[in-house]
Amino acid sequence: MRKILYYIFFYVLFCLLQFFFGRYINVYGIFPNFILIAVVYLGLSRGRLTGETMGFFLGLTWDAFSTDVFGVRAIMFTVIGYFAGMMNKSFDKDQIFTQIIVVFFANVIYWAGFSLLYYIIPEGSSSYTPFVITMQGSIKIAVTVVITPVIFYILNAMTKFGRKHI
Amino acid sequence: MQENHNSKYSNIVLIILLLVGFLFIAVNMTPPIKLIKNFVYYAAYHNVNAANQIFQSAGNFAGNIKSIVYVSQENNFYKQKNQELIDKLRNYEAMCAQYNELIHLLDIAKMKKTKSVFARVSVREPGEWYQWLIIDKGLNHNLYNELPVVVPGPDGTLMALGRIVETYKNSAKVALITNALSAVPAKIKNKKIDCLAEGSNSGLIKITYLPLQADIEVGDVIVTSPLSSVFSEGIYIGVVTSVATQPALDFQTATAEVMFDSDSLYEVIVLVPEEEETE
Repeated sequence: MRKILYYIFFYVLFCLLQFFFGRYINVYGIFPNFILIAVVYLGLSRGRLTGETMGFFLGLTWDAFSTDVFGVRAIMFTVIGYFAGMMNKSFDKDQIFTQIIVVFFANVIYWAGFSLLYYIIPEGSSSYTPFVITMQGSIKIAVTVVITPVIFYILNAMTKFGRKHI
Repeated sequence: MQENHNSKYSNIVLIILLLVGFLFIAVNMTPPIKLIKNFVYYAAYHNVNAANQIFQSAGNFAGNIKSIVYVSQENNFYKQKNQELIDKLRNYEAMCAQYNELIHLLDIAKMKKTKSVFARVSVREPGEWYQWLIIDKGLNHNLYNELPVVVPGPDGTLMALGRIVETYKNSAKVALITNALSAVPAKIKNKKIDCLAEGSNSGLIKITYLPLQADIEVGDVIVTSPLSSVFSEGIYIGVVTSVATQPALDFQTATAEVMFDSDSLYEVIVLVPEEEETE
């Protein structure tokens, strides 16, 4: 029961962060991909099953709140959650270097997968050109990578606090 | 052991989730769902891009609905046409049965049914423009010599063009009615006046053997006569352009302009008699 509550809280927190606070913290359309960080965090700390399942639901929610093709993000975050989960045992998630590298590669997978899916289904991609590296996209990835250790730290602290007091 | 079990379990879940994701993508391609999704997005975030997407989706959706309505209307129209044709076919079959009975009772020659074989003009020599042409169908398409060749008119009528004189495997030579060697038994439409339409190697044909007292006027239409061994009765040949009466002769002659457009002759119809059905 505690686990379920934890995941619901996690889900709501990152949905709020991405969809409602995102608009207040974005500068020229650039703001971090909180959901990607969350999925990587869950994959690294809880394993593949949690990573892919939460990735799927968070992606699906993002799809619902976007004008892009429904299901694309759900697939991408599922895959990222799965890959992050694979590194659960082999990497130390508390190391900043690991966090940065994994989130960076998750961003690359996200961009490549997104491009590939839009390349296969060009419908609805009027505002998105597949396989094109833009300045805005690159800055977005950089911001996400830079903010990753902070988010990981907060999440670790919250988890510890939860385990102690709830 | 437990870890192995979890790994297997997570792989199955991954496959299921990916399948569900792709299913969402497939479903999302339908315009109504796209429209609803974009509308939900617009309700959450009011921005120009979302509004554009909604209008685009709505436009596509409306376009599809419009197409469906058109197709439905067209379908109804063709259904009605189909019904009319079925009625006509039923009447035709009844008439055929009556006709066969009468043929049997009166013991007269049976009218031959024909089927149309469409062919393209493949060769037409400028030096012999009004004499003959070659079509791209021949023995392989059940064509043979002496078959009538016609061209369709703008109102569905048939206009006499000529007859097949030589047949090869995949081609046939057609002697035109404007060929000087051609002579088609004809009659003046609605006047019961028999005559002969002779070619003159030009766009005009000579109408000969017109009785002296016959009332022929410019503008009269010449059609094939039932006496023709090649053409069936009533196929258009030409329109009278001038009449010449010479009292010394027993007959009048007239000149007629052929009805088919000689300069844009690309497709023709060969009327092939259908084989008799064995009862």
